[in-house]
Amino acid sequence: MAQFFQKGANNIARITMIMGVVVAGLAFFAYTQFSRSSYITGQYVELQQPVQFSHRHHVGDDGIDCRYCHTTVETTASAGMPPTQTCMNCHSEIWADSPYLEPVRASFRENKPIEWERVHDLPEYAYFNHSIHVAKGVGCSTCHGEIDNMAAVSQENTLQMEWCLSCHREPEKFIRPKSEIYNMQWQDNDITAEERLKLKEDYRIRSRDMLTSCSICHR
Amino acid sequence: MSRNRIQTHGHGDAEMRAVLSPYHGVTVSRRRASHWLLIAVICVMAAGCGVRFDMEDQPRYETYQKSDGIFSDGRASRTPPDGTVARGHLNEDKAFYTGKIDNPDLNAQVESTTDASGNTLVTSFPNAIDEFPLPVTRELIDRGEERYNIYCIVCHGPVGAGDGMIVRRGFSQPPTYHDDRLRNAPVGHFFDVITNGWGRMNGYAASIPAADRWAIVAYIRTLQVSQNPDQALKMNTNTQANTQASPAVEEKPAANTNTSGGATQ
Repeated sequence: MAQFFQKGANNIARITMIMGVVVAGLAFFAYTQFSRSSYITGQYVELQQPVQFSHRHHVGDDGIDCRYCHTTVETTASAGMPPTQTCMNCHSEIWADSPYLEPVRASFRENKPIEWERVHDLPEYAYFNHSIHVAKGVGCSTCHGEIDNMAAVSQENTLQMEWCLSCHREPEKFIRPKSEIYNMQWQDNDITAEERLKLKEDYRIRSRDMLTSCSICHR
Repeated sequence: MSRNRIQTHGHGDAEMRAVLSPYHGVTVSRRRASHWLLIAVICVMAAGCGVRFDMEDQPRYETYQKSDGIFSDGRASRTPPDGTVARGHLNEDKAFYTGKIDNPDLNAQVESTTDASGNTLVTSFPNAIDEFPLPVTRELIDRGEERYNIYCIVCHGPVGAGDGMIVRRGFSQPPTYHDDRLRNAPVGHFFDVITNGWGRMNGYAASIPAADRWAIVAYIRTLQVSQNPDQALKMNTNTQANTQASPAVEEKPAANTNTSGGATQ
């Protein structure tokens, strides 16, 4: 009776085992990359908004402070979307006839909100509060990027948990002085690591254990 | 089931296996079957759950989220009915919250002129209070500077000359702070204009809390002094409480013991 297994069967078995591990590893790697891709996270994806509002123009060119529109960023969880009246503070006269601004005028006339597309949409099991981050030295651009260069705002970061934790583990790498919170050009190395450590003490930022505790964000 | 329980009790595994050996094969094959069943169930559940986002989008409204057909205007956040007073917002202190005297004469005649760019300029201020209803401190003025540079600088310019960026982009030029009319205007007038607007300027009551509006008024006075340092300007006669913490943090300074109105809490 002939041998059921040929000589090469050993090699086939070995290759199969190795390939099994390799394929599984590759599949896992592909999964990690896919789950971090902008297809999943929405990073860098520009959305079609009802009004072609440009932060590059309003912040970059005109130098309007973030808080002129996002008035509650220092006091509440939400940074605050401006009411249409805030737009009309200037656009009652400037570009008052522009067809681009008709949705704004219609909103003002009819007392109906402009329906913006939400760019930063956290999952609802994650708690986030703007005011505490601003109060503890996290600048706008640390999370939102150089908004003053964005004609259409897109998400600068993944908003995934690993991204949140990267700062909650080591806030001293990202914080800045109070006076620079709204400075869009600020770079993390504009001050030395020692200065940032001192800032961390001055702000009385809590310990790493506290900041990475589950219930800090999942409450 | 009972077999499983016996096995997990396990005092002396080998001994137990020996005892159960006639049934051993049966146990294993049943367990295998149950494993496959478990895997199948997990697969079905995973398929059911995999495409659901119940936790990501919970059945509640996020801030600014659209309400689906519940309210006619589509807003999930509601405007309080007219006349509603939220707890802690009775705003009894008229001087602090309106910048006006206790019993303002609503029919008082206001004198006004019209300047070259068509702005109506009031020259008499019959109802405006003339003293700050809170202590003017360094912290208040610093806070005012910060707030001014957010909300006012866009039109009124860095020193209040009326040459802000929005004016340069074509908005009507506001009058300068640095003439006798506004140098002599009572502080309540500035507060009233910030609160309710004037001419082409919208009111900023929705954006700026009352304490911050007073801080801005203090900073406007500071700017007036800075541009005309020889003239003494009336800042505040109430200086006994200058060591208080910055009042701008709260809507109403906690230890405001001065003249006007009652406590608002």
